[in-house]
Amino acid sequence: MWEKKPVILLILATAAILVGTCITMVLPFVWVNTEADRITSVTPYTPLQQDGRDVYIREGCNNCHSQTVRPLVAEVLRYGDYSKSGEFVYDRPFLWGSRRTGPDLARIGGKYPDAWHYKHMADPQSMVPRSNMPDYDFLTEAEIDPEYSRKKMETLGFPFTEAQISSLEGKTEMDAMVAYLQKLGSDIPWRQSAKTEVVGELANPSPKDKAAIRAGQLLYADNCAMCHAEDLTGDIGPALDEPYLDDADLFRLIHDGIEDGGMPSFAALGSARLWQLVNFINYRKQP
Amino acid sequence: MDWASILYLGTSFGLFVIFALILLRTWRPGNRDKMEKAKFRMLDED
Amino acid sequence: MENPTYDTTIVRSFVNWSILWGLVAILVGVLISFQMVNPDLNIAPWFTYGRLRPLHTNAGIYGWGIGSFMALYLYMVQRLCRTGLWSPTLAKVQLYLFNATIITAAVTLVLGFQTSKEYHEMEWPVDLMIVVLWVIFSVNIIMTIIKRREEQMYVSLWYMLASLVGVAILFLVNSAAVPVSLFKSYSAFAGTNDANVQWWFGHNAVAMVLTAPPLAIFYYFLPKSTGVPIYSHRLSIVAFWSLIFMYLWTGAHHLLWTPVPDWVQTLAMGFSVMLIAPSWGSVFNGYLSMNGQWHQMKENYLVKFLILGITFYGLQTLQGPLQAIRSFSAFIHYTDWVPGHVHMGTLGWVSLVIFAAIYYLYPRLCGTELHSIPLANLHFWLVLVGQLIYSVSMWIAGVLQASMWHAINPDGSLSFTFMETVVRLYPYWWIRALGGVLYLVGVLIFIYNIYKTAAKAQPQSVPATENA
Repeated sequence: MWEKKPVILLILATAAILVGTCITMVLPFVWVNTEADRITSVTPYTPLQQDGRDVYIREGCNNCHSQTVRPLVAEVLRYGDYSKSGEFVYDRPFLWGSRRTGPDLARIGGKYPDAWHYKHMADPQSMVPRSNMPDYDFLTEAEIDPEYSRKKMETLGFPFTEAQISSLEGKTEMDAMVAYLQKLGSDIPWRQSAKTEVVGELANPSPKDKAAIRAGQLLYADNCAMCHAEDLTGDIGPALDEPYLDDADLFRLIHDGIEDGGMPSFAALGSARLWQLVNFINYRKQP
Repeated sequence: MDWASILYLGTSFGLFVIFALILLRTWRPGNRDKMEKAKFRMLDED
Repeated sequence: MENPTYDTTIVRSFVNWSILWGLVAILVGVLISFQMVNPDLNIAPWFTYGRLRPLHTNAGIYGWGIGSFMALYLYMVQRLCRTGLWSPTLAKVQLYLFNATIITAAVTLVLGFQTSKEYHEMEWPVDLMIVVLWVIFSVNIIMTIIKRREEQMYVSLWYMLASLVGVAILFLVNSAAVPVSLFKSYSAFAGTNDANVQWWFGHNAVAMVLTAPPLAIFYYFLPKSTGVPIYSHRLSIVAFWSLIFMYLWTGAHHLLWTPVPDWVQTLAMGFSVMLIAPSWGSVFNGYLSMNGQWHQMKENYLVKFLILGITFYGLQTLQGPLQAIRSFSAFIHYTDWVPGHVHMGTLGWVSLVIFAAIYYLYPRLCGTELHSIPLANLHFWLVLVGQLIYSVSMWIAGVLQASMWHAINPDGSLSFTFMETVVRLYPYWWIRALGGVLYLVGVLIFIYNIYKTAAKAQPQSVPATENA
């Protein structure tokens, strides 16, 4: 039969291919991106954010950064709340990625202040010394074309205002990229709901302990120096070289971060390491 | 049993039947020479 | 039966060009492997990792992979059907269009015109070129099969037909996009749907480009090289139907634990495990064909390439289903384990089989003997060792990074920052780059051997190809 009839073989092979295709690829359209997974607080990208997204695509950032947090303990601790289908309805194309040479970016929005991103994009090693990310300094030289942005928004069917388009004048691709990164994952109020509270009396378990100070120094270099400078004189964040908070308040501040103030929460470091940091910052000069 | 289950089981069962038919047809004793003929062609010089 | 005159010039030209694109793919691959350890090697904006990695994968899969498959399909179809090509002119048009497409793809990718969809990064004008190219290719092959003078179709033809229609369906659906300008478009699908369509495409590109064509080649060139038929044509046929049926369900194993519906993930996981059966059907068929012929592993360099190739296919199709299981995916996904896995398939399975086929047919097309069998053996060992170094170092790096990512302190905090896990990978990335360099040296020896073979043939008034 089909051993001798190539056309019949072709038709049968096509049919075999289409069964799995219809069930696993076509059928999910019935539920995905419908009312079933809608999240009302998720909004389309603004013209500037969409431009940033297009730069992200053009530069192939997805080759090293994923954009989905899986519902796994370590992953939620590291990046934040796990990703939900409704958060991606305006993503054309999706940018979930497949390899984390760099960290996941699904929840990067609001983690750092804008200044952190500008500095990091232009020269990643100045912030993260052993990073292998390339420099994207050239984005500061490329200006956005507002008319092209308008065309893109119309194609995508996203709402926009004339003010948004005219405000693109003079903006660079770097501005767009930072705007996009700050939007990522921040449409749902996960930071508020994931917030942990420090309860009870706070007491430094090992004040002025030498080992704790040394451990704190290493932690500082990895987590704090990028904004507060290696010598604690401040840069993006304020100077810390003069003691300005007592141990308990400093612990609380590092643990909680300052919402809208650009200081991320470092609760994920765990209390043992947070106390080491406190000891380093407050007692490094003590004999 | 609702329609979805009947559809699901029916489809799965149908697929197994098709697979069984392919196996039966391929390994039917009388079919052996016919089915294996093509491989000996590979020994011809071309 | 009298053998007709076969069109050989076109096959030679396709082989020559596919080798060139293969070299480009490997050179870019080696370059980006060094960029991983030294970011200063990124030359912005054109030669950054983010733009070169798509160039590497596309040059490898489409330039080297598809280019060779086109050459070998055109070679095999004539002999399996005992007839000349349906249209030699169309095949020539296909060659020019193929190279034009690859060049356009390479230039536009480096310029940053890309969609971000893995293994489908080219923007819509390049997609259109690919569609025309594929139609020309498919029509020529299918029409040649229809006018064949050999009644029974050998299993290689089955795989060839399935891959032609499979690639067409996958590519057309995943290309769907709305253009904004000549070099920018937005996907027709959004978010989770787009992800599911993309990995339905992505994983079945593995089926229809990196599995079906190499199997067609393996089933043809193994008996040709050993001089004995394959073990069982019937087994190959049952494996064929099972393979092309089951593959299409498995795309979502790239999306385990993501927002894609759970039942789609579960089906993908189940079918991935079931795929071991047809995959190993082909592996056993290959091994059992060697019954009484194993001594050829020592004597016949072609058999070495082919049997190691099918062995890596066997390992690949065990490791793949393992990674498709939810619990293991939770651990290993997003790490270097995955590139280690992919390169065992591409550098091991696919490329070893293509090398064997080219070694077999090139001297015959030139009407001469291969320039040097010792060099072919050296090539074999270099690419084998290079690929093993690559894959093994990446598996170790993947396990290491995964365990660091998931490590949690007694107080419930993470044991390692992300950067602490990256720093630990640098030594493995150096080792990987070394593996890549070894592979590159092996391929350079291969090219030298083929070049000398072609040069040897020139005086004997064999028609020169456009670019030999």
